[in-house]
Amino acid sequence: MSPRLEVRDAVKAYGATVALARGSLTVEPGEVHVLIGSNGSGKSTLCKIVAGSIRPDSGTLRIDGREASVAGPTASRELGIGVFYQELSLAPHRSVAENLALGHLGDTSSPFLDRRRMRERAAREIARFADVAGPGLVANAPVGALRPDQRQLVEIMKCLSSDAPILVFDEPTSALDRAQVTRFFKVLRERQADGCAIVFISHRMDEIFEIGDRVTVIREGETVLTAPLEDTDADGIVRAMVGEAAADDRAGEPVVAPVGAEGGATVAARPSGDPGTFSGTRTDPLHAVLSVQGLSGGGCRDVSLEVRRGEIVGLGGLHGQGQSALLRTLFGLLPRRSGSVALDGEPLAANGPRAAIRRGLAYVSGDRGRDGTVTGRSILENVVPVHALLARLSLARPGSLRAVAAPALERLNTKYASLGHPISSLSGGNQQKVVIARWLTERPSLVLLDDPTKGIDLAAKLDLFTLVRELASAGTAVLLYSSEDTELLTHADRILVFNAGRVGEDLVGERRTRHALYRAAYDTADAAELAS
Amino acid sequence: MIRFAGAPLVMALALIVALLALGEALSPGFASVDQVRRLLIVAALLGIVAAGQNLVILGGREGIDLSVGGIVSVGAIVAGNVMDGANGAIVPAVLACVATGAAIGAINGLGVTVLRIAPLVMTLGMLGVLQGLLVVVRQGAPSGRAAPALARFVTEPGLFGLPGILWLWIAVGIAMALLLHRTVFGQRIYAIGSNERAAHAAGVPTGAVRVSLYALSGAFAALAGLCLIGYSGSSFSNVGEQYMLPSIIAVVFGGTSLAGGRGGYTGTMAGAVLLTVLQGILTTVSIDESGRQMIFGATLVALMLFYGRGEALRA
Amino acid sequence: MTGANAIEPRRSVPRRLLARFPFLPAIAILALLLLASALLSPNSVSPRALTGLVSTYLALMLLAVAQTWVVFAGDIDLSAGAILSLVNVTVVVMMERFGGEPLPVLAALGAGLVVGAACGLVNGVVVAVLRLQGIVATFATGIFFTGLALALMPVAGTPAPALYWRTYGGRILEVPFVLWTAAAAGLLVWALTRTRLVLRLLGVGDGPRAAYQSGVPVTATRMRGYMLCGLFAALAAFCITGATASGDPLVGGAMTLYSVAAVVLGGTALAGGSGTVVGSIAGALIIGLINAVVYYAGTPSEWQNFVQGLSVMLALAIGVLINRGVRS
Repeated sequence: MSPRLEVRDAVKAYGATVALARGSLTVEPGEVHVLIGSNGSGKSTLCKIVAGSIRPDSGTLRIDGREASVAGPTASRELGIGVFYQELSLAPHRSVAENLALGHLGDTSSPFLDRRRMRERAAREIARFADVAGPGLVANAPVGALRPDQRQLVEIMKCLSSDAPILVFDEPTSALDRAQVTRFFKVLRERQADGCAIVFISHRMDEIFEIGDRVTVIREGETVLTAPLEDTDADGIVRAMVGEAAADDRAGEPVVAPVGAEGGATVAARPSGDPGTFSGTRTDPLHAVLSVQGLSGGGCRDVSLEVRRGEIVGLGGLHGQGQSALLRTLFGLLPRRSGSVALDGEPLAANGPRAAIRRGLAYVSGDRGRDGTVTGRSILENVVPVHALLARLSLARPGSLRAVAAPALERLNTKYASLGHPISSLSGGNQQKVVIARWLTERPSLVLLDDPTKGIDLAAKLDLFTLVRELASAGTAVLLYSSEDTELLTHADRILVFNAGRVGEDLVGERRTRHALYRAAYDTADAAELAS
Repeated sequence: MIRFAGAPLVMALALIVALLALGEALSPGFASVDQVRRLLIVAALLGIVAAGQNLVILGGREGIDLSVGGIVSVGAIVAGNVMDGANGAIVPAVLACVATGAAIGAINGLGVTVLRIAPLVMTLGMLGVLQGLLVVVRQGAPSGRAAPALARFVTEPGLFGLPGILWLWIAVGIAMALLLHRTVFGQRIYAIGSNERAAHAAGVPTGAVRVSLYALSGAFAALAGLCLIGYSGSSFSNVGEQYMLPSIIAVVFGGTSLAGGRGGYTGTMAGAVLLTVLQGILTTVSIDESGRQMIFGATLVALMLFYGRGEALRA
Repeated sequence: MTGANAIEPRRSVPRRLLARFPFLPAIAILALLLLASALLSPNSVSPRALTGLVSTYLALMLLAVAQTWVVFAGDIDLSAGAILSLVNVTVVVMMERFGGEPLPVLAALGAGLVVGAACGLVNGVVVAVLRLQGIVATFATGIFFTGLALALMPVAGTPAPALYWRTYGGRILEVPFVLWTAAAAGLLVWALTRTRLVLRLLGVGDGPRAAYQSGVPVTATRMRGYMLCGLFAALAAFCITGATASGDPLVGGAMTLYSVAAVVLGGTALAGGSGTVVGSIAGALIIGLINAVVYYAGTPSEWQNFVQGLSVMLALAIGVLINRGVRS
């Protein structure tokens, strides 16, 4: 019996950049096939080729043994492919019911909307997730008013409502909580039993092993491994993702442990060469660089904390509990409702980023496309803005600007051909390095890192954290929010666990374990939910 | 790092040459030195207005200035009245009219940044207000006269046979290139045009920059108005109306994207010349108004096929 | 780690009201203007005067509706006024050639609709298929359509037949014809808002890429939006023909920009994806009432244009501030 879906040797290049060099994928009916690879590896490109929103340069695609060409999203629908898009394909001003209906409008020949059909479809899909979705997920709610996890659920519903025999999910669980994921997997297994072929892209090891049957690993645009999941483990997959040689170099790099190891495991791994203890040697217990009292702003509530010179304070907890909001409020990107902030003893007014920068703050966002890179401009132009502000420059002399930019980029091992090239010519990881280098041209006293490693490859992450440690050793205070617990557990001196905008627990010293972190995050989450 | 506009510039220049040849063929004498000089003077007037439009469009967030036509007329009237035919009053006239234009532009800029009214709508509203104002002025005092020195500056051949206004335009071109590529302000313009949020997070004063762009647009338009009365002697009230659409088209033909963040002024200068030559051909050739408009409209659409088409849905 | 209860600001009642009924600020401004008008000149709000208002501004209301369809999809049509002029001229010329009896008149109207749709098709091809930038492209097509209008009628002034303008200005069953027309147009608009085309237009405006990925035929939808705009511009032209009783190739000139202003006043976002037709109609009436109020306030005639322009800006600013005040 031929596989339900077979992609062979798909190639896609954008000018000089090769997104996919040789992508292959085979999915059997009734199988959940996991597709994994680091960012820029080509897995999303492969997905979009199957979905029909990208035209491949070459390669074959077969459905049930017959060769097919997916000319566009409408064609993919006709071929029986339903897609969940990572960036979500929702219209924010339209209601949930309307969003679910958009793809089905062509099903009938009548020019008028079949409101009854729309209501029925919405009711059916919402019912599947009703008890885990939380309040607000109703048929006539505008999608833009929903929470991120709810929006993701709507996109899942959209995909499922296509009733297609081939389903492609590109990172469907990134904003979902445990209960929602469990329900989602239950639904997936029902589809599996019906003979659906499911492609599942994720970077969460625990989920992959929970739901997947086979896995295909893509590295640098090529399929490098396809195997049943029972024949491999997390280590093997990471090795395939990163490449054999590179994996050995990173002997000290903590590996994301599968879900079974959660209970009680202490993260012992540290990058080689590190002395081991954090407190005492470089933090100055007397000198609080940042002092926050009762700060409330767009998403954080009554937060009080202190960061000392040379200290790396981590912000933990479930996604979207106020960590990012705190950082953005401190930097002046979000308005302050109440509370006070002091920097080096002097009050810091809520006057926007320029004032914050002048006082020595730096802010790096994980959403570099939105808050970081000035796309279309050169690398040089992306590195100099902060320097231009602080040095009060009015003329932009290329020579002197280059002299400032190059060393900053060097500190992060940034790979680039020329400072005059557009920043878009760099890989994601290098782009993020450029954004960070922006702050290295000066000497910030407090660095706010807002999930800085989101979507960048392992090598770049390593360079980044090496730098963070250097900065801390030199006395810079660091506030670090990361959606990867391992990063927090490895690098932070203290971890403040957030819940519903408030700081729940402060994990120091021996209490910085994955177990304690999860417990603090979930326990108080339930308590906060009951209270609110 | 003075960048040339590259392909759009070359294309515009090629088209200019082609059109000049066509014009000469259709109406001998079209490409004579005198005629070309006259065309260049008109192109310079458009080019100066287009400089301001260029800045506003580069700043992004759907930036556009539909009120330039009105500001040109207002500038002409202010300049005319201050000068009133006196050579000695030229400098005050320049100062007064540029200041007026900048002030009007600043109001546009504030409406766009503080009130967050869409630029299309804000400048449109301003145009309506200015047109209303012009009606009032027309009933009242006479619109002033240009000083003889100004008229000479604009129309008579000067250094190397080029009238003063062309040298002014060249100076504007050099100033724009320096502003865009050699100043922090220029980098900031591109930054807010490409990704305003990132620029804001990097410490760029996005609001102040954008208001400045609209103020500059007003200043350039008013300056063009001053030169315009030098060209025609006195101003009739709606003299600036014909500059709005062409200024936008000149910017587009120069390779600047209407989305902002990309492009420069050298291409716009070529675009202004291209458009002026095109309009010149249509005026010379003896067809009636309807044919002229149809050809103009169709040609614009045809030319736009080469400039900044949007990206396809399926990559 | 992931989490469910991410913090989102709770939506207050005014905010939700504004989200569901974006035209509310426009209605509020309209009410204020009616009040001002009544205070300045009590006669101005009599049924007769209000009918006159509707009669004068019906064309602008229809043109604003026309503009709304394309704005839903995030596009714009700066040739709308030119299409109106072209249809006006076409209809008058046809009636002049083939007579003023009911049958030729209907044929002329039919031809007008075809012309409107054809112009819309041209716009649709240029913007959606050829992917030229909407603002400049429709400006250019507008120039072309004006040229066509001038070709059909080089000089304004050809009269419309008596049957036409008498019917337009007359009554049926004691109710003014224009009110019947307005009601019929209202019904048509109501029906259209229930079609999948309009949902698709809004979907495209909300996010073309997302709509495309959802299987919405984006290009075809945008083209249909422009054609719908052309059809409604034609309907507006029919009203103009009835009101002016003549043809004028440049009659629509200023109306284009007013139609855009009406759409914005009505609370529809130029970026696309959200808005209402009701708002645009209210916006057109606001413009009309502003003109009326300025007149009734005894403004000297040379200052009227200026004050009108200023008032429109003021209305725009008020609308924006109401929106912002509610959002924060």
